Amino acid sequence: MFSRIAYALRETWESFRRNLTLTAAAVLTSAVSLLLVGSTFLIQRAFENLLVQWRGDVEMIVFVRSDASAEQVALIDSVLRASPTIIDIEKLRYLNKTESYEEAKRIFAGDPVTLGLLTPESIPTQFKVVPLSEDPLLVRSLSDQYRTLPGVEAVALAEDEFEVISTLSNFIRVVTLVTSLVLLLVAVGLIWNTIRTAMFARRREIEVMKLVGATNWFIRIPFMLEGLLQGLIGGIVSCGGLWVLNSVWTSGVTGFKPGTGISSLVVPDSYLTSVMFILLGIGAFVGAIGSAIAATRFLDV
Amino acid sequence: MIRLENVTKIYGTETVAVRDASFDIPKSQFVFLVGPSGSGKSTLLRLINRQEQPERGDVWVAGRNINELPASRVPHLRRSMGNVFQDYKLLLNKTVFENVAFALEVIGKPRHVIARQVPIVLDLVGLADKQDRFPNQLSGGEQQRVSIARAFVNRPLIMLADEPTGNLDPTTSEGIMGLLDEINQTGTTVVMATHDHRVVNAMRRRVIQLDRGVILRDQERGVYE
Repeated sequence: MFSRIAYALRETWESFRRNLTLTAAAVLTSAVSLLLVGSTFLIQRAFENLLVQWRGDVEMIVFVRSDASAEQVALIDSVLRASPTIIDIEKLRYLNKTESYEEAKRIFAGDPVTLGLLTPESIPTQFKVVPLSEDPLLVRSLSDQYRTLPGVEAVALAEDEFEVISTLSNFIRVVTLVTSLVLLLVAVGLIWNTIRTAMFARRREIEVMKLVGATNWFIRIPFMLEGLLQGLIGGIVSCGGLWVLNSVWTSGVTGFKPGTGISSLVVPDSYLTSVMFILLGIGAFVGAIGSAIAATRFLDV
Repeated sequence: MIRLENVTKIYGTETVAVRDASFDIPKSQFVFLVGPSGSGKSTLLRLINRQEQPERGDVWVAGRNINELPASRVPHLRRSMGNVFQDYKLLLNKTVFENVAFALEVIGKPRHVIARQVPIVLDLVGLADKQDRFPNQLSGGEQQRVSIARAFVNRPLIMLADEPTGNLDPTTSEGIMGLLDEINQTGTTVVMATHDHRVVNAMRRRVIQLDRGVILRDQERGVYE
């Protein structure tokens, strides 16, 4: 038994050394594709952080027409206060024109064109609403009710704002996932090819092995180990890359002002570690698959 | 030991390599398969070690129909046979000792068995003093001896030799035949495909003559003609 394991390991190492360039190509491709897979996980997680943080503090904004009368504003205020079980009345705030304009200046700081269209006279005033209820549907039905009140221009839900972010994150997820899957396929192909080359280089040995009665598994295992090792090394390289990427990302993100939401895009280390293990697993699996196909396909020499 | 019953082997759709061949080779017999190139000699050997399977008919080895053998059992069948070829099929990056040891290594024999068996068989083929040489450093006859040592080291029941003297001069061929004869004396059945008249006529053993896949003659103590 021991001599068989020693044999398999020795053969694996020999073949690995002999095909250094092809091996390097296969390892690098799997590393790059796995890095993309890992990034997909991290991006996903980062956006989730963002969404989770906002959802816990959901806000509804009731915009009031700039030409609304004082009575209409008072009516809206009383209607809002009529639902104390759903709305946190303590935190209910009314922003008048000056305050609203100040806020807009901040929101559109990076967008002077939009800001130019607004004046302190034309800007709608607004009620900032913090709901008590955790049920987003309840809040939504309430917002539909407010929309019909006289003087109300619009009701915005923070939830709707999330949709932009989640659409964005979905888009990024799909793009990275598709790219990484394509690259993973390329990695399987490259590993398949290195194993095929390795087997071709040793077809004479394989022929002799078959003639003296070596089992197919005995012949196959060193090649499969070689492919597995290639995938695994690719995985290790990608873990290093992912760690560097995450460090750069984290230091960049934490540099932002707190409260902007950006700082919530940091991924915890424990999550990073589990992603790394997943990458090692995928790498080994991809390598074993590629080489197993090649080893089975080209065993008849 | 080896029995063929109405065996027909067709390559592709047209080429009939062996047509309706039947013979019975008892244990420890020495048999020559003779005939011109393409007459089906090599195919018969390949049918016996199941590198090929016949379209029709059955091949029996040691009491078993080997065409009904599942693929997973084929390696075990092959362990009971030694194969020798015209081109030796030695591994050029391994020494004489390693080439012979390889045959035991890959069927999972422990190291101490290899260390004991290889020198014995190298001594038998007369290469005990050249075990650390590489194949390129040996003459053709010596290389063939290494390949015979490799085929015999596992003490097979059957030895299949495909033109083993094809690349050798008459004197060297004689030595190789002597070696095969010696192996045959130990009780190993030897089946040898050849078109070397001299060798066949000198040995006077059973001769099965083939022409275009058909057995023309099966004669005890025959000559080549």
